[in-house]
Amino acid sequence: MKINDILTLYDKILIGFVIILSLILLLIPFYYFGSPAEGEELILKVQQGDELIKTVAVADSYDEPIVFEVEGPIGIHTIEVNQGRVRVQEAPADDPLKICEKTGWVDREGPIIVCVPNSLSLWLESTNSDIDGMSW
Amino acid sequence: MKKTKKIVVISLLISLGLVLHLVESFFPLSAVVPGAKLGLANIVSLIAISLFGFGAAFQVVIFRVVLGSLLAGTFMTINFYLSFSGGILSFLLMYLAYYFFKEYFSLIGISIIGAVAHNTAQITAAYFIIANRGIFYYLPFLVLLALPTGFGVGLVSFFTLKHLPYSITGGNFNDQKSK
Repeated sequence: MKINDILTLYDKILIGFVIILSLILLLIPFYYFGSPAEGEELILKVQQGDELIKTVAVADSYDEPIVFEVEGPIGIHTIEVNQGRVRVQEAPADDPLKICEKTGWVDREGPIIVCVPNSLSLWLESTNSDIDGMSW
Repeated sequence: MKKTKKIVVISLLISLGLVLHLVESFFPLSAVVPGAKLGLANIVSLIAISLFGFGAAFQVVIFRVVLGSLLAGTFMTINFYLSFSGGILSFLLMYLAYYFFKEYFSLIGISIIGAVAHNTAQITAAYFIIANRGIFYYLPFLVLLALPTGFGVGLVSFFTLKHLPYSITGGNFNDQKSK
């Protein structure tokens, strides 16, 4: 049995539609962020719930890594800023999926690191951009 | 189908769903895109929808999500709500698609609809919890990844239904040919 015996025409239309839609959605961040300009500095913002709890200038991390802890309902996150990149070094043991830890390093605007059980989100933001992470 | 037999088949589907839920966690797709997974448990939902219709399939989905979270120790936590919202929305959309557009979509198309709905529901639920719009950055990646996983899940369900014995399917699927 060939795959074309199973797939219908409407299946193919659906697949094409989903691909086009997600490609369009993929391009939106490029429109907002573009490529980094000269002399631009990144800052790290840490948000819990809808409250901004910490901002760190990434430039400070080139001399020595900055490590700090954020506490939430299910435990303590260890966040590391090193050489202009940021990651969640250690997620709490009670976090069943540990998605924030698996996200790994982030070194540009766009991707954010989230820990949903702790309602924690952290992302990098450029100092001279006129929009912030909340505006898209 | 006799009532006892129906109950047995439903409970078999639930336990299969639980096992698939467990097997799924061995594939660390979250390292590629945060929050991504294979959605293998959807195979059981699809089979239940096409064998029994709404009521029994709804039971299968609800029991799988609740028992799965009880076994994993995440019942009534945020992870439970995330998987609950994703499970319910994808089930409803798959059922509607199956009920109204059975002639147009094969099981593959229906499973892709379910996978995309699952991801969208989970991202939206997560957005309400962390209140940061940046999380939608991951939505297109998740939706793109939902295509191959949904395709595979649909294919597995199709062949499973095709090879189920006559006593379970009642002859509805053994000679099924898609257009």
